[in-house]
Amino acid sequence: MFTANLNAPESRIDRVQLAALGGLMVLGVAFVYSATMVNEPLGFWAQYRDVTLVEFARWLIGEFFFRQIVWYLLGAAAGAAICLLDYRVLARWSFVVYGTTLLLLVVVLVPGLGTMRYGARRWIDLGFFQFQPSEFAKLAFVLSLAHFLSRPPEELRRIFWKSLGLMVLPFLLILKEPDLGSALVLVPAGLGMLYVAGTPRRYLIRLVSVLGILGALFLVDVFFAPPNWQIKVQDYQRRRLLVYFGQSYAPPPGASKAERERLRKQQFDDSHNVRQALISVGSGGLAGKGWRRGTQNALGYLPRAVAHNDFIFSVIAEEKGFVGSVVVITLYAVVLFTGLRTAGQARDRLGRLLAVGIVTLLFSQVFINIGMNIRIMPVTGVPLPLLSYGGSSVLGSLIAMGLLQNIYIHRKG
Amino acid sequence: MLFFDQLKKNDPQLRLLTMVVLGGLGVLLAGLWWVQIVSARDYQARLETQSFRTVRLPAVRGKILDRTGVALADSRPSFNASLYFEELRKPFDAAYTADLAALRRQLHAQMTEQEHALKHPLTRKERARFALSADQKNALRQRARYQVASNLVAYLSARLQQPAALDEQKFQRHYAAALVLPYPVLLNLDPTNLARFEEQSVTLEGLDLEMQPVRVYPYQTTAAHLLGQLRRDISSAEGEDSFLNYPLPVFRGTVGLEAAFDAQLRGRSGSKSVLVNNLGYRQSESVWSAALPGENVVLTLDLRLQQAAERALAQAMTEVRGAVVVLDPRNGDILALASAPSYDPNMFVRGLTPAEGRYLSDARLRPQINRAVQENYSPGSIFKIIVGLAALESGLDPRATYHVQPDPASPGHGCIFVGRQKIRDLAAPGDYDFHRALLRSSNAYFITNGLRAGIENILRLTRRLHLGELCGLPTRQEVRGNMPTLPEVRARWTAGETANVCIGQGEVDVTPLQVAVVTAAIANGGKVLYPRLVAAVAPQDPFSGGDRESFPGGQVRDELGVRPRNLQLVREAMLAETEDLEGTGYAAFHRGKPGAPVLPTFRVCGKTGTAQVKDASGRTVDHTTWFTSFAPYEDPRYVVVVMVESGGSGGGTAAPVARDIYLKIEELERAGAFRLPVVAQKN
Repeated sequence: MFTANLNAPESRIDRVQLAALGGLMVLGVAFVYSATMVNEPLGFWAQYRDVTLVEFARWLIGEFFFRQIVWYLLGAAAGAAICLLDYRVLARWSFVVYGTTLLLLVVVLVPGLGTMRYGARRWIDLGFFQFQPSEFAKLAFVLSLAHFLSRPPEELRRIFWKSLGLMVLPFLLILKEPDLGSALVLVPAGLGMLYVAGTPRRYLIRLVSVLGILGALFLVDVFFAPPNWQIKVQDYQRRRLLVYFGQSYAPPPGASKAERERLRKQQFDDSHNVRQALISVGSGGLAGKGWRRGTQNALGYLPRAVAHNDFIFSVIAEEKGFVGSVVVITLYAVVLFTGLRTAGQARDRLGRLLAVGIVTLLFSQVFINIGMNIRIMPVTGVPLPLLSYGGSSVLGSLIAMGLLQNIYIHRKG
Repeated sequence: MLFFDQLKKNDPQLRLLTMVVLGGLGVLLAGLWWVQIVSARDYQARLETQSFRTVRLPAVRGKILDRTGVALADSRPSFNASLYFEELRKPFDAAYTADLAALRRQLHAQMTEQEHALKHPLTRKERARFALSADQKNALRQRARYQVASNLVAYLSARLQQPAALDEQKFQRHYAAALVLPYPVLLNLDPTNLARFEEQSVTLEGLDLEMQPVRVYPYQTTAAHLLGQLRRDISSAEGEDSFLNYPLPVFRGTVGLEAAFDAQLRGRSGSKSVLVNNLGYRQSESVWSAALPGENVVLTLDLRLQQAAERALAQAMTEVRGAVVVLDPRNGDILALASAPSYDPNMFVRGLTPAEGRYLSDARLRPQINRAVQENYSPGSIFKIIVGLAALESGLDPRATYHVQPDPASPGHGCIFVGRQKIRDLAAPGDYDFHRALLRSSNAYFITNGLRAGIENILRLTRRLHLGELCGLPTRQEVRGNMPTLPEVRARWTAGETANVCIGQGEVDVTPLQVAVVTAAIANGGKVLYPRLVAAVAPQDPFSGGDRESFPGGQVRDELGVRPRNLQLVREAMLAETEDLEGTGYAAFHRGKPGAPVLPTFRVCGKTGTAQVKDASGRTVDHTTWFTSFAPYEDPRYVVVVMVESGGSGGGTAAPVARDIYLKIEELERAGAFRLPVVAQKN
C-alpha cells in the first residue's frame, strides 16, 4: 500500500472533497442557468436547434451559466496548477502576493481605475472580466498570515500585534470600497488561525472582548446616537443594519408628513430583497417547486441583478425546497470537514494553519450568505462560494481548494 | 466519519473549530427548517398575495323572451379595442430611455453654458442642480408611457377613421390601479370597424380586442316598463368569489323583471387569477371558476301584440299618457301590457345623458311609471259593470224601467239628486231598463239601483274580484288601488258616497290590470284569475341539463259567485255598447253612424268610462278615459283594457285604441300567427 501511494501520487488527492466540490459546481451551473434563463423559455436545446452554430456560440458566450462553466474550468486549472508546487514553496512568495493584492486594493479605490457599481467601488474593469481584488485579497491574507504564524509558538507573543496589523490593512482597504461583508469575513479567519497557532489564551480573550465591545459601540452609535455624533458609515449600510435589526428609520425631529412617508417607503424598498429572499426560501417548502419553476425569480420579485450571485441560495431553496437546502449544506459540510481533516494531517504548522484559514474563510462566507437568505444575518454582499456567479469569487474559491488539496497531498505519512 | 475523526484525536484546537463549524451549520439547518417546513404555508400565502390578482369574469346575463321566443332583452358581445400594457413594456422603456437621453443632453448643454458664463468648471454643489431626482425620472417615465399609448391610439384612430383620444388622467390612474386589466380605448366597435381592426391589428402591438357581454334591448321602448332597468355593480352575490382585486362590474337588475328575476338572469360570475410580476404587469392567467350563464325568462307577452298595443296607444292623441292591457281571459296570460310614455332602457346600460335624465324626471310625463299597474285611477263608468252586477244579484229586475228626470240647468241631459247633491247624467232624460242604462251609461239609473242594492253588496263583489289588492305580478311594481272595506263602510258612510261609488268616482281607484282581471271574469263566466306574466325560467343552453321551471297559467284566485243569467245580461249589454246605435262605443267600431263594422269578424263587448279627476278642493281638473272590452263575444279569447289620461271621452279616445288592437289581433289570427303552443317550448 505504501509503495502504491508512492507510485501513484494522484491517489493521494482528497477524492471525497473533490466529489463534493464537483457536486457544488454542478448545482452552480444548474441554478445560475435557472436564475438567468427566465426570459428565454425555450432554453438551451431550442436555441441550439434554431440558429446557426456561430450565432449559437455567440449567444452562449453572453450567457451567465456558460461563463460560469468557463470560470469553473479556469478555476479548476488554476487549482490543479497550484498543486504542482509544494505549498511550502508557495508560502515563501506569500508576502509578494500579499503586497500585490494590497496594491490592487488601493488601485480599485482610484476613480477611473475602479468601477463604481451600486454605490461601491469594488471592481477593476478588464473588459472581458470585472476583476474583484477583494476576493483574492482574502486568500492572500490567509496565506501570508499562515506563513507569518508558522514560526514556533514561543515567538507568537512577540509578533501578536504585527499579525493583527496584517489583518487590519486589507480589512480597512476593503471597508473603504465599501464592502463590509468581505471585510468582516477576514475577522473569523484571522481569529481561527491565531487560535490554532497557539496564541496565548488571554490575548485572544482580550482581542475578542475588544472586538465585541467595539462592535456593540458601533451598533449603538449607528442606531441611537444623535446624527452629528455618529461615525460616518455609508448611508445604505446603516439602513441595512436598521433593516436587519428590525428598527424603523427614525425621521428627524419635526419631519414633515411627506418626509415620514418617504422614509417609510424607503424602508419598505430597502427591506425588499430580504423580504423576497425569505418568501422565496419559505415558499419552497419541503420539496420545492422544481428546477426553473420558481416564480419569485421568474417574475422579478427577487431582483434579477442579485438572483444569480448573492441570492443564488434563494433560487435553489425555492426550486428544490428544504431537501435542496440540506443537500447544499451537506456538500459544504463535506468540504469543510475534509478541510479540517487536512489540517489535522498536515505535515507542518504552515499547512495546518493554512488549511484552518481556508476552512474558516469558507465557513464564514457560507454562514453569512445562507444566513442572510433566512434573515439570521444582515444583508452584505458576500457571495456563496462556488455557487454564486462571479469570476473572481469562483477563481478565488477554487484556488483555495487547490491549496487544501496541496496540503493534503503533502500530508504526514 | 469525516468529523468524528477530528473529535476523537487529541487535538483540542481543531476539535473546537470542528464543533464551531458543526454548530454553525446546525444553526443554518435549524433556520432553514423553521422557514421552509414550519412557516412554509405562511410564506406561500405571502407569495400568493404579492403575485396574484383576482379578476371577476362576468357571466352572460340570461335573455328575456316573449312567448314565441323572441328576445326582448338580450346579451350581445361588445368589442372594445383595448391597450394591453404587458405588451407595451418594451416601447414604454424605449421611449423613456430616449426621453431621458434627450433631457440629459439638454441639461448637459445648460451646464456647459453655465460654465462658460461663470468661466470656471462647476463645483460639485453647482452640478447637483443639474442632476435628475427620482421624482423627475418618475414623471418622465409616466409621460413617456402616456406618449407611447397616445401615439398608438392616434394611429388606431386614423386607421379606423374613428375619433379616439386618450385621457391622460384616466390613463395614469388605470396604470397605477389596474395594470393587469386592459385599458379600453375604443368602446363598442361596430362591424365595419371590427373588420378594419382585424385587418390592422397584426401590426399594432399592444392593442387587441376585448369582448364583454352587454345588455341590449333590441326593441328599445317596447315593454320597457316590464323589462325594467339595470345598473353596473361590483359587489359579489352569494355563492360567488368575494374579495376580488378587480371585481369587473356586472349588470344587476334594479327595476322590473330584470330586478325580480335577477337571481336567475345574472348567472354566476366566475373568477380568474392573474399572475403578475414585480412591476405589476400581467404575466399569465388561469381561470379558477368559469362563469355560469344566467337563465332565460320566458314571458307570456306576445311581441307583435305588445307592439300593436303600444302603436295604437301612441296614436290616441299627442303626448299620450295611458296604458293598455291585453289579457287572455281563459288563463290570465298577459299578452301585452303597455304604458305610455315609454323610454329606452338601453340608455341605462350606456349611461344617461343630461337630456335623458330630464326626460325621465319630467313631472307631467313621468315616463318611469308603469301606468298599467303602478298608478291609481278612478274607474268612472266602467265600474257600472260591477254595480250593475251587484244590483242584479240583489234582485233588480233588468226589464224594470226607471225614469231619468231632466236636469233643470241643461234640459237635454238627465240628473239625479242624492240628498242635496245634484249628480249630472250625460244620458238623456227618459225611461231606462238595465240594458239601455248600461249602454247609455246612465248615472241616475245606476245610482238609484246601486243605493237600493246597498254599498255592502257592491263591496262584497269587489272583494271577490280582489280589487284593492295587488294582482301579484313578479315585478312588484304595483299599487293596490283603493276600495273601501266593510268595516270602514259600517263605521262611517253616507248615501252620497255610495252614489259616487256607483258611478266609479270618489273612494274607488283601480289599475288597468285590475280592470282587465274584472273584465276577464265577466268574459270567462266568473273565474277571477291571477294574471300571469312569466311562463317559465329556462336554461340558456337547452342541452345544458338545467331544469326548466314553469309557472302554470289559469290560476284561479276566486269565483265571482254570480248567477250565469246575470253575467249574460251584462255581456249582452256590453255587446250592445259597441253594436247599438245608441252605444257609447258604437262610433269607434263602425264606419259612419249607422255604418259597416270595422272589425271583419269579431263582435266586441265593451264599456266606456270617463272619470273626473278632481283636485284637493273638489274641482274637476282632468278626465281619465277608459275602454274595457273583450272579444269575440261568442268565445272570448282577448280582454283589451285601454286607459288614457286627459282624454276626451271613453268612446272617443280610448275605444279606437282597443279597436286598432282588435284589428291587429284579427289580422294575426287570420295569418295563423297564434297557432303556436300557448307557451313557446323553444328558447
